Amino acid sequence: MRQSHRRTVLHGAAALVLGLLVTSAMPRAADATTVDDIVSAGKVTIAIDTTTPPYGMIDNDMQPSGFDIELAQLIGKAMGVPVEFVTVTSPGRIPALLTGRADMVVSIFSITAERALQIAFSIPYASQSSVVLAPKSVNIKSAKDLAGLKVGVTRGTGEDGLLTAAAKDIPGIEILRFDDYASISQAMLSGQIDAMGGGDYGDIYLKKSAKGDDFELKYILKTFYFGIGVRKDSPELLQWLNTFIFTLRQDGTLDRLSMKYRKVPLPPLPTF
Amino acid sequence: MNYVFQFGPIFRHSDELIYGAVRTMELTAASSAIGFVIGLAGALARSFGPIWLKRIVAVYVEIIRNTPLLVQLYFVFFSLPLMGVKLSSDQAAILALSIHLGAYAVEILRAGIQSIPGGQIEAAKSLGLSRRQIIRHVIVVPAARAVYPALTSQFILQLLGTSIVSAIAAEELTAVANNLAMQTFRNFEIYIVIAIIYFILVRACSLLFRLVSLVLFRWKA
Repeated sequence: MRQSHRRTVLHGAAALVLGLLVTSAMPRAADATTVDDIVSAGKVTIAIDTTTPPYGMIDNDMQPSGFDIELAQLIGKAMGVPVEFVTVTSPGRIPALLTGRADMVVSIFSITAERALQIAFSIPYASQSSVVLAPKSVNIKSAKDLAGLKVGVTRGTGEDGLLTAAAKDIPGIEILRFDDYASISQAMLSGQIDAMGGGDYGDIYLKKSAKGDDFELKYILKTFYFGIGVRKDSPELLQWLNTFIFTLRQDGTLDRLSMKYRKVPLPPLPTF
Repeated sequence: MNYVFQFGPIFRHSDELIYGAVRTMELTAASSAIGFVIGLAGALARSFGPIWLKRIVAVYVEIIRNTPLLVQLYFVFFSLPLMGVKLSSDQAAILALSIHLGAYAVEILRAGIQSIPGGQIEAAKSLGLSRRQIIRHVIVVPAARAVYPALTSQFILQLLGTSIVSAIAAEELTAVANNLAMQTFRNFEIYIVIAIIYFILVRACSLLFRLVSLVLFRWKA
């Protein structure tokens, strides 16, 4: 009696695990993959990150705002559907697409060949340099000066890749990987790290703190180009986004957004 | 279902996964050991200590048990440095996890102590045992045996709880997995693999605890 009860429990558990595996492995069933799908669904679901000022942040009214957010709203307006925002962290961007939680990702998504193995990128709508930031009192001019220092990065970002590669060549650089930009900024302000990798917008973010004026840009690691991410199986949607970005470049909208949020004009954006 | 599973890119990083699993066990072992000591001291203080000490332990237990572990981690790592206490990621993780487990261990062990019938203690008194002997042999050891399953399941929860310390840049299995996820973008495969590793670690620990109980508690009550 007891034996059979235990067996039922085991079977139940096995069925549950199997069910979870199956459902987690086939999340794409209900995805909108064409422009028409989105229009008939009556909304476009866009993944954003609100911890990446000035591209994505929470404004004083507790609403998402920033370069990426305004671009996302323009996309919804052009498609004639309301935008539903899904908040993701930097490592959550690709999973958000693959699991169908979002139709597209508009969140400082730098275009890399590695990422393009999993998802598809639009042509760039903005660009940003990855830089090393540190307190003014620390003397850093190149990666060599980072030896013996703790350097914080957001896991999996471009800065992570570049600084991890530098740490392999130069012994003594200790890389601390955090899950989001807010955490490395916290670590920087509390002195848990000596320097941090971030976008050159990071300056703006740190500047808001009480000790903001203590920090400065040390050197540029690399310039990245941001594209909108969509699932690989959505070429039609991708083509529409490319066309839309082209029109925004031509009518000066992107330059206006850049001046509004980044305070500097956009550099020339290449097309692929 | 048109997702193609590819485990190859992950198994190429198996040495990193093993490193992560070892780090997870180190964090668990260190914080469980310290947490158990805190728990034992707290349970004794709360059961036999003076009233002011009982109050202090009660406040500690309530604060820790009513706040999230993640907030405690952030507090130790991001807030303490502003007061001049700067701990590395690993130190902060072990400290926060120990304090967290300690609060639960206090309550578990105290429950065990309360389960000892008064008659047993009176019997020990009438046999002429000293207060120290009674606390040790008649109360604490039988109490520990009574709550051993609850205590070990708290250790297991601790093992699983270490998975959030990557939030303060401490390295363990989940942090390694997140790094690999960002390198290979094989999120499904990676999280399936580390779920299996966690499962094996937990089963191994359960087995170990069972063996330990056979040695520690040979005699019948």
